[in-house]
Amino acid sequence: MKMENHKFRKILVCCGTGCLANGSMDVFQALKENLDPDSGIEVETYVKATGCNGWCEQGPLVKIMPDDITYCHVKASDVKEVIEKTIKNGELIKRLLYRDPQSKKRFKSHHEIDFYKKQHKIALRHIGEIDPASISDYLSCGGYQALQKAVGMQAAEIVSQIIDSGLRGRGGAGFPTGLKWQSCARQENSPKYVICNGDEGDPGAFMDRSIMEGDPHTVIEGMIICALAIGAEKGFIYVRDEYALAIQNLKQALADARSFGYLGDDIMGRDFFFDIEIVRGGGAFVCGEETALIASIEGNIGEPRDKYVFPTEKGLWGKPTVINNVETWANIPVIILEGAENFASIGTDHSKGTKVFSLVGKVMNTGLVEVPMGTTLREIIYDIGGGILKGRQFKAVQTGGPSGGCIPAELLDLPVDFESLAAAGSMMGSGGLIVMDDRTCMVEVARYYLNFLAGESCGKCVPCREGIRRMLEILTRICEGQGKEGDLELLEELGETLQIASLCALGKTAPNPVLSTIRYFRDEYLAHIREHRCPAGVCRKLTEFYIDPELCNGCGLCKKNCPVNAISGEKKEPHVISQELCIRCGDCINNCPFLAVKVK
Amino acid sequence: MQIIIDGKKIDAVYGDTILETCRKADIYIPTLCYHEAFGGQGRCRLCMVELEKEGQKKMVAACTYPITEKIEVRTSTPLIKKTRRNIIMLLYKRAPNSLLLQKLFREYECQDNSLKEDPAERCILCNLCVQACQEIGSNAISLIMRGTDKRVASPYDEASEACTGCGACALICPTAAIEMVEEGNKRSIWNKTFELLACERCGKLYTTKEQWEFTAKKNNACASDRQLCESCRKKAVAEKIKAYQAAEH
Repeated sequence: MKMENHKFRKILVCCGTGCLANGSMDVFQALKENLDPDSGIEVETYVKATGCNGWCEQGPLVKIMPDDITYCHVKASDVKEVIEKTIKNGELIKRLLYRDPQSKKRFKSHHEIDFYKKQHKIALRHIGEIDPASISDYLSCGGYQALQKAVGMQAAEIVSQIIDSGLRGRGGAGFPTGLKWQSCARQENSPKYVICNGDEGDPGAFMDRSIMEGDPHTVIEGMIICALAIGAEKGFIYVRDEYALAIQNLKQALADARSFGYLGDDIMGRDFFFDIEIVRGGGAFVCGEETALIASIEGNIGEPRDKYVFPTEKGLWGKPTVINNVETWANIPVIILEGAENFASIGTDHSKGTKVFSLVGKVMNTGLVEVPMGTTLREIIYDIGGGILKGRQFKAVQTGGPSGGCIPAELLDLPVDFESLAAAGSMMGSGGLIVMDDRTCMVEVARYYLNFLAGESCGKCVPCREGIRRMLEILTRICEGQGKEGDLELLEELGETLQIASLCALGKTAPNPVLSTIRYFRDEYLAHIREHRCPAGVCRKLTEFYIDPELCNGCGLCKKNCPVNAISGEKKEPHVISQELCIRCGDCINNCPFLAVKVK
Repeated sequence: MQIIIDGKKIDAVYGDTILETCRKADIYIPTLCYHEAFGGQGRCRLCMVELEKEGQKKMVAACTYPITEKIEVRTSTPLIKKTRRNIIMLLYKRAPNSLLLQKLFREYECQDNSLKEDPAERCILCNLCVQACQEIGSNAISLIMRGTDKRVASPYDEASEACTGCGACALICPTAAIEMVEEGNKRSIWNKTFELLACERCGKLYTTKEQWEFTAKKNNACASDRQLCESCRKKAVAEKIKAYQAAEH
């Protein structure tokens, strides 16, 4: 297949964390080396490493412009062929194109694929298109124009644009961003501070990471606009130390912004000074809570405090402080540049704009997706996510990180916005979406999250520290077959005390995974407690696998893979599992092509 | 300003916490981590009260909530009682051998349940010891770790240079969780052993050498100042006053 031949080609190599882990840096290097200006290729080329494209499942991704070709799973060994065929001659390499598993059709561009078609990118607008280490790349796609516009606006006008946009904090609580700025702007106390919360700690979440890695200038621009609006002189970006690439790219971006005059003295020729410092977090989940984060920047123990007086009044070092999440900052330049009305036209009545989700778990297309608020879970999981892996049944989706709730299949048509998720016993959180299939035990899921939270609670207040520990104690014994009558009632009672009395949102929301699974999967809990049975076949002490002789065709796959040789049977004859030898690892049930392995 | 607490109009000072206001008005709210010397911490959550503001109800910690506007507070609703009972139950399960928690467990009519008890634990992590140490100026102990591993310790659980063995931590501890052992003229606390000094007048062992030096330095005392126990110091001061009075006459 021969395409139009161009004289200039831009090659974008995804160097987001997922693609890097799969070797995209080798692909990038190989392209660089082989496209040396002296290599005699007539086509002029420009190779750049971009941030995360979000389609991590198919990485490493290489995009070729202006042909608009997207290659998936590219290896360094494919580079020569890519250059010979595509770069030189505009020829497509069919095997590197995405192949839809259902229709078996191949697609030339990622724009044609369902994964991208239903997305609406605002916060992620540049990521995957620009080189995060290059300020000129950012400038070439409208970077710092919002700041230019804001400099010509009155401070109050900037604040009212943010209020009118309806933007709500993307870090979890969903507090209206504009009101936060307004409250801080009204304080007479000074100096004032602007903080970016990049302490993303939810297991499986990487929205903020991708933004900081892939488009650091948008965060910086958002913060400068806020500083202008509230009268702040100093900003901090608090990033967890594990995000090495984010820190590296942010450092570069800050240095470039300073040398271009966007930070420092007399910004854009105005009598306005502002600079930003990076603070590296030590890895405590609770430091994502804003008052704990502030304590951590101050050099104190990362413990939250009661927020009866908001940080906008008394924040960092007791001074007025605006603290927003990375994704919130990434929305600011767009609102200023395109206007509040434009932004407010997207989303639902009370949740405006888009939300980035990290879609993970038992779903075909794991990755980073940005959709308008109000998109249903079904659209995200099935249309964008491509449905459940291995054709299994959807069981639940956990939203909002470790202290979010699990939403069952009946509620798949729930629109994703702050209010709907809260009403369903879950929350928006920072945007984690973990998809679970029928091989997931909901009691074990609740136990897993409570175990995480028991270690990550700061331990300051009694309900959270002692309550989570005790809920975990009960869940652990239920999973081990030692559950008692009354355990569910005790879990519910403790859950209520945590919600009412805990100091910060970590403790207040910690019961969500337990209470939501009791609400939607009570039968599964009762099977554990009363029948000593784990219906999903996960809790080892309560599980027995057997092979249905009617369904087994004796392919021998389970027998071959069983790590303890517990399965016997002749070829083409039904196989049998020895209960004495079986260690309940679940390998047989997970991989049987005929779904012949069952849970007793 | 006036606010309403349990249906009664109560005078309050702008900026005071609900707890301080209640204490002044003789309205009882239980606390475990509060001490008037340090102010509210919001740790134990036993002081949760119901707040009504512009028709909206919410639960807040009385020890940290500052009064800045007209509010209505209820200090003992069924939900508050249940919450307090559960908090005491949780702390009792943590430190079942603490006499204080045994007493509270009975007083609040907590129901026993199947949760495990830890017979070796006494500390309820109220942080009062750390605050006392900080107030004195030593900063020898701190909360360390997080979550279920959180505890109070000296740095790296070693003898701290900053510790003077004053024992303020043990004195303020509501559950007698801090071990301070005295044998002969030695006192041991926080993995460190101190020599006790005798009162020059009555001979009672009354402080550690380190604490005497620390306090002397803090108060700009002279080397010639005598080392006296609390009661002998009072007597000595009284004698001085008498001597002045005699000289004036």
